[in-house]
Amino acid sequence: MEQTRQVTVTQAAAVLVSTIIGVGVLPLPLFAVRAADSGAPLVTFFGMLIAMVGLLLITWLGMRFPDRNIVQYSEAIIGRWLAWIGSGCIIVFFAVLTSLTAREFGEVVVTSVLKTTPVEVTVIVMLVLAAISSRNGITTFAYIHMFYMPLLIGPAILIVALSLKNADILNLEPIWGNERKDMLGGTVTIAALCQGSFILTMVIPAMRRPKKAMRASFWGMLIAGGLYVTIVIATVAVFGAEETKKLLWPTLELAKATSLPANVLERLDAAFLAVWVTAVFSTLLSSYFLTNQAIAFLFRLKDHRMFSIFLLPFVFLMAMFPKNIVQMYGIIMQVGRVGLVLTIAYPGLLLLVAILRKKRGKPLGSSKSG
Amino acid sequence: MGAQKAVKTVKLLCIGMLALPFLTGCWDRLEIEDRAVVLGISVDAEKPEAIAEEDETTHKADAPAVAGKEMVRVAVQIALPGRIPLGPGEGGGGATNAQRTVWVIDVVGHSIDDAVMNLQQQLSSRLFFGHLRVIVVSEEVAKKGISNINDYFHRNSEVRRMAWLLIAKGSAKALMTAAPQLERVPTLYLMSTLDEAIGMGKFPIDFIGMFWSRSAKKGQEGFLPYVELKKHQNVEIKGIAYFRSDQMVGKSDPIGIGVYMVVKGINPAGYRVLIQIPGTNKEVTTAATHRKSKIDVAIKNGRPVFVVTAAIEINFEEKISGDLLINDMKTIKTIERLQSRQTEQAVEDFIKQTQRVGSDIFGFGEYVRAKKPAYWNRNIKTTEKWQNMYKDVSVEVHLDVRIRRIGMKSQ
Repeated sequence: MEQTRQVTVTQAAAVLVSTIIGVGVLPLPLFAVRAADSGAPLVTFFGMLIAMVGLLLITWLGMRFPDRNIVQYSEAIIGRWLAWIGSGCIIVFFAVLTSLTAREFGEVVVTSVLKTTPVEVTVIVMLVLAAISSRNGITTFAYIHMFYMPLLIGPAILIVALSLKNADILNLEPIWGNERKDMLGGTVTIAALCQGSFILTMVIPAMRRPKKAMRASFWGMLIAGGLYVTIVIATVAVFGAEETKKLLWPTLELAKATSLPANVLERLDAAFLAVWVTAVFSTLLSSYFLTNQAIAFLFRLKDHRMFSIFLLPFVFLMAMFPKNIVQMYGIIMQVGRVGLVLTIAYPGLLLLVAILRKKRGKPLGSSKSG
Repeated sequence: MGAQKAVKTVKLLCIGMLALPFLTGCWDRLEIEDRAVVLGISVDAEKPEAIAEEDETTHKADAPAVAGKEMVRVAVQIALPGRIPLGPGEGGGGATNAQRTVWVIDVVGHSIDDAVMNLQQQLSSRLFFGHLRVIVVSEEVAKKGISNINDYFHRNSEVRRMAWLLIAKGSAKALMTAAPQLERVPTLYLMSTLDEAIGMGKFPIDFIGMFWSRSAKKGQEGFLPYVELKKHQNVEIKGIAYFRSDQMVGKSDPIGIGVYMVVKGINPAGYRVLIQIPGTNKEVTTAATHRKSKIDVAIKNGRPVFVVTAAIEINFEEKISGDLLINDMKTIKTIERLQSRQTEQAVEDFIKQTQRVGSDIFGFGEYVRAKKPAYWNRNIKTTEKWQNMYKDVSVEVHLDVRIRRIGMKSQ
């Protein structure tokens, strides 16, 4: 585990962006309109604010302990045994999150593109890819994200821009929604889509200048959150809130309804799915990497590669657990909400205790990273 | 030496292994000639007796779910691989016959999926809906409700949202078997009829996806093009078939399409109207070129009141009787005034016509929902309530017509 400090602010932001943008973009507008029909963009915006709070806490902690990650500094803050429980929960949670991401990916593929390919195959291919890639060090990891980020942002913006020609502004009014059925629930569900941003805790110790981590998390969240809100606005403006409620993956449907000018491509869903596979891969890679690294740090291993393959069967089995797509989305929502406790409340608690006990990591420079 | 050789063998093997993933098949591999590419589908109503024609594919004949129930006849138009000419050079200009490029098969069933399953049972290649462009539903089926059709095509991931859903006067299957002279593939002709109509301002954009979106809205109903097959195998756009929820509840004249487009301010404009100057027997026609409209909503005495303000630009098109001089402002003003009054009347009539059946295709309810949410939440909230309320809301129409050009003649 080389701890050379090579990750730049831009790379850290790229890691965040491509981690946050993942499988969640497909059902995102559905979650949002369920909460408050035409107020969907607002719900998404609130969701992003909550996610931002979680990310801020993590960044703050990371800057306080610039050469340690959450597994390490939690031991310093709340003591070894309590920290063990916390880290254990984080490991289990991100392993589950990885498996659910892979399964959701598999379900989309099997429903819309490869109908006769067994879902197990798509899931396992994706997981193996993530497992192999997660054997890299943090620097390579950051480079992978840096490389893919423009590939995610570009086409997504293109689709949104093209779809807007069918948009009707009336669909977005009133902006706070007509029937706010479950504003809080929707906000929380959407915030939960951004939990991958927890990966920042692993990135900060490798950042060249951890002091600038706040800038990275701000930009990362702004870009990813901005894209999320834009997608919801476009979907609701084109379909209307009621139609969006009827669609399982409204964003995919949006791509399907959008054509390139002059009918070069009459439907963009194939192009969109190709991009989306990359988005899922980068999300999967992050959560797998996080699980893997956390285990390595917890057991104080010299080499994190050992667990990357060892984890695979467990994650795969968990991915195969949901019996059908309805149950799967039920589980995803539940897990997401529970996860918020782990990714927001736990770091919040750590930060509070750290401030109270005046715990602080060695300022950078005094230690020559190692 | 031996060790080196062994390493070399292993290396070679490894390289050989690399090729393995490319040699395996793919689960979803489907050769293009094994695919039955469906270009068009028609749905007609059938009597329960048609069950005699059906084999037991998805159910037993005496199953309570189907016994004695109305049935549908589904005809599909399948493209024959290799027969569809790709360029102008191929195929030549000989007699264009629908039977040559496509194959039309029809089956009966209790629902769309049931019929499709019956059809698949008779067909060697797998039905593929990715290129489905036109779905024609007969008026009879539409009047009974098309929720089943909507559900099937909405759920199917291959169907595109840019396909057309049409309501046919009389038999829908006739449109599948028709062989128009212009286009070598019949459904493509049907499709271009509508696409061209949009370009000429004869119909608003109304793909199946938009119909779904409009139908789903609480303050709006969907509408579809209403077409008829004419005697030369050509297709006429006869008007708008308007719906309430999933049920067709009425249809307009072709001019109703123009009226709809005036209210919504949809461009390009393409309708021509005939105007008689009162007190004389002088008649002229004009062609609309551009429309603009604005819909305002206000709540008066606890009821929504709508004001439609529209402006139309027209060109003078023809004189039917010869002794009218149009190169003076007075005549032009007269024609403008007459046409605005006439169109106002037409708009009011068409709105009343839809109000009678509670089918708000203009989406007035959406304006209430969007602009007066407090009123909407207190008094309406559901589709059904709006359908009832729409019947007696008042709509004011103000039209402003301007003649811009008079063609190449000076008087």
